[in-house]
Amino acid sequence: MNKINKFRRILIQSILLMVMVIFWGCERDNFQKLDERNWQLTWSDEFNGTAGQLPDAAKWTFDLGTGQNGWGNSELQSYTNNPANISLDDKGNLVITAIREGNFTSARIKTQGLFAQKYGRFEARIKTPYGPGLWPAFWMLGENIETTPWPQCGEIDIMELRGQEPHIIHGTIHGPGYSGGNPISKAYALTNSRFDTDFHIFAIEWDADKIDFFVDDYLYQRIEKSDVPGQWVYDQPFFILLNVAVGGNYVGFPTTQTPFPQKMIIDYVRVYQEVN
Amino acid sequence: MKTNILIILKKYIPTGFLVLLLMGCERELGDLKPVTFPDTPEVFIDGFSAGLNYAAFGGSVPTAFDVDTKETYNNSKASMRFDVPNAGDPRGAYAGGVFFTEAGRNLSGYTALTFWAKASESAVLDLVGFGNDLGASKYQATISGLQVSTNWKKYYIPLPNSSVLTAERGMFFYSTGPVDGKGYSFWIDEVKFENLGTIAHPQFTIFNGEDKVETTFIGVTQQISGLTAIYNLPDGVNQSLNAATAYFTFTSSNKSIATVDESGEVIVVGGPGSAEITAMVGDAAVLGSLTLQSIGNFQQAPLPVHAADDVISIFSNAYTNVPVNYYNGYWAPYQTTTSADFEINGDQILQYIDFNFVGIEFSSPTVDATAMTHLHLDIYIPNTLAADAQLKIELVNEGAASSATYIANIPALQSKRWVGLDLPFSEFTGLNSTDKLMQIIFVNENNMISGFYADNIYFYSNGTPPPPGGEPTVAASTPTHPAANVISVFSDAYTPIPGTNLNPDWAQATVVTTVPIQGNNTLKYAGLNYQGIELGASQNVSSMGFLHLDFWTANSTTLNVFLISPGPVETGYSLTVPTSGWTSIDIPLSSFAPVNLSDVIQLKFDGNGDIYLDNIYFRKN
Repeated sequence: MNKINKFRRILIQSILLMVMVIFWGCERDNFQKLDERNWQLTWSDEFNGTAGQLPDAAKWTFDLGTGQNGWGNSELQSYTNNPANISLDDKGNLVITAIREGNFTSARIKTQGLFAQKYGRFEARIKTPYGPGLWPAFWMLGENIETTPWPQCGEIDIMELRGQEPHIIHGTIHGPGYSGGNPISKAYALTNSRFDTDFHIFAIEWDADKIDFFVDDYLYQRIEKSDVPGQWVYDQPFFILLNVAVGGNYVGFPTTQTPFPQKMIIDYVRVYQEVN
Repeated sequence: MKTNILIILKKYIPTGFLVLLLMGCERELGDLKPVTFPDTPEVFIDGFSAGLNYAAFGGSVPTAFDVDTKETYNNSKASMRFDVPNAGDPRGAYAGGVFFTEAGRNLSGYTALTFWAKASESAVLDLVGFGNDLGASKYQATISGLQVSTNWKKYYIPLPNSSVLTAERGMFFYSTGPVDGKGYSFWIDEVKFENLGTIAHPQFTIFNGEDKVETTFIGVTQQISGLTAIYNLPDGVNQSLNAATAYFTFTSSNKSIATVDESGEVIVVGGPGSAEITAMVGDAAVLGSLTLQSIGNFQQAPLPVHAADDVISIFSNAYTNVPVNYYNGYWAPYQTTTSADFEINGDQILQYIDFNFVGIEFSSPTVDATAMTHLHLDIYIPNTLAADAQLKIELVNEGAASSATYIANIPALQSKRWVGLDLPFSEFTGLNSTDKLMQIIFVNENNMISGFYADNIYFYSNGTPPPPGGEPTVAASTPTHPAANVISVFSDAYTPIPGTNLNPDWAQATVVTTVPIQGNNTLKYAGLNYQGIELGASQNVSSMGFLHLDFWTANSTTLNVFLISPGPVETGYSLTVPTSGWTSIDIPLSSFAPVNLSDVIQLKFDGNGDIYLDNIYFRKN
């Protein structure tokens, strides 16, 4: 139970696809040969509940307000725990809504103090918001951030998106010597589609040697310990964050043409640990 | 090589699939199907695509468009160049034209018309669009105000519901004029239809997404407006288009009240009752609706009472109107007001919709109103007023430095009924002369009025005094009904309903006073047009039998009394006038059906002349 063996499944399902790919001259290699893993579910939130309900307080806590200097990034929004900004939708999703009513409000939740894990697979199924200045993220911080300030604590961004490029997501790590505007990062773009029109699965698989970044189980970035120009700070538990920021250094500012309200819809967050 | 591929295909691909592939290459007579149109995506890449033609719009510079081989997108062989003329160019006032095909194309597999564009200077193209075929242009979709810069950029015209575009001939069109009087050039290249998954989140609207509620009458027609399609472009920004009616399907929730046809014309056919008009685009819901609350047959404006000799009429079926240039000048660019005038039972009514301001002009010739003293108009605001509305009325005399203004206050309660305004010239600010009046302008002063009907717009003189009204020399008889059997509105003999307002501001012209006649308080209506009485509280008079009143008038020729219950539901009862001495009447309450006798809130009188009233009360049998 809760064990998945998906790469074998993909292999089987890919045989016919392989044939098609060869004959139709498609450029992208849809098949990736990866080591087989056995994942054991260790933590999850499926976001089942009634509409208007806040996320489970046993799993999530809130970051509220505007932080220091817009959470360090000149972000414009004020985070609330108002159901208008964050609540379940009765369809098995958590919805974070960025609202423009003069100022911007939105929400940011985290598992800090409630759950953290070293290594494993961290995944979420998400439909993103869109529009210039929107900055949704599914990301992690080192649990020791209270005693070891950022970037020494480490940051793993499993999914970030700039709303003016709704077809591109970014996977990134920030650590000592490679943070802020100079992290290790890679983009993944959809061809003729967007991340805000359907759900996609964003995941990392992280062990002592590397962090692999996936979109819909496609590996698009592998960061190995040796790739990091500074210290490797990813051998300790990390906690999870979900948020929708508005404006800021990373994304630029929303324009009058940016449609609001904007929603990030999260079907689930699941965390696995490898078992042998 | 071909043979080898076929062998491999045979090995791995189901046979049916292979047959399909082969059919794509050759065709036999037996395979012929009903005519379908080609799905060619190219419009202009490095030249005209097959079957493409160009025609300039009338009044535009016919040579504005040319193929350019120097300035092209991505150094391709050719682009389209458009030269917008300077203001005053004798060849034409603007650049505009249509790219169309002789035979239709099937565009149902595409989601957008795309192109690259740049201009010699930053400019806004007034209109670019798709679906103009120089004919019915059934599926036209247009972007207004497309910003172009001096760098090449890709632009998108999303196709609303392309599933209907199976035989489209209108490929692309444009229309734009000088910027600040100066012409410029712009280039368009790589015009083609694409199937883009990066255009997302379609939204459609009627009435620009507004849920409108209107009170209306049988026979009123209106056109559904504000038809837009909004798409989110690949850069996350929304693009709004004006979309043709044919993309939409309209529905009435109650066809016995209102019908709507495929062109979006709504006709009120029944009432009382309500109907909601909604729309769909394909399977997609459309934001915005129109709820029509029909009160049934049209309620006519009160018939004007002024003698024709004392009137200069601008708009009335009761008088002969002077020549009028227009009842709506559609003054660009700021006026939003449109007209939907209508005629009911031979009486024409002006209707103004989306009201911000509107002008009536009668300048050829102008009107000499020096012998007149007042402006009269009847207006009807069909929507509920959230608060008191201010209608600014302006009079323009030819040669005056500015218009003269009067601000009429329309109490919130006065919506959904005719309101007669009698405005003395002496109360118009800045009206120095009335010898060459040429315009009446209405302005939505505090933005409370979304639209109104107007009738009986005329100047009149009250310089000729009405026939002497006189005054009763004796008081009305003191009533004798036991107080326990009476609910009194106005009488010295009984305690009236507390809080009753004998002179609510319903914008009437009537002057109300209470005068003592032989020491008995009597209600006097001088110069009645209409007059309300608001009861201090709703009254249940269902156990009563009659409305009693005493009235006296020497000069009135029409007098009606109304009971009113919420809705408003009101019914009038005609009183015989003039009187010889006091007339005392007990009107059976059944005469006022369908007024809700358990919830009577107001009384009203209308008519003319000077009226004295006393002993207004409800009594049991």
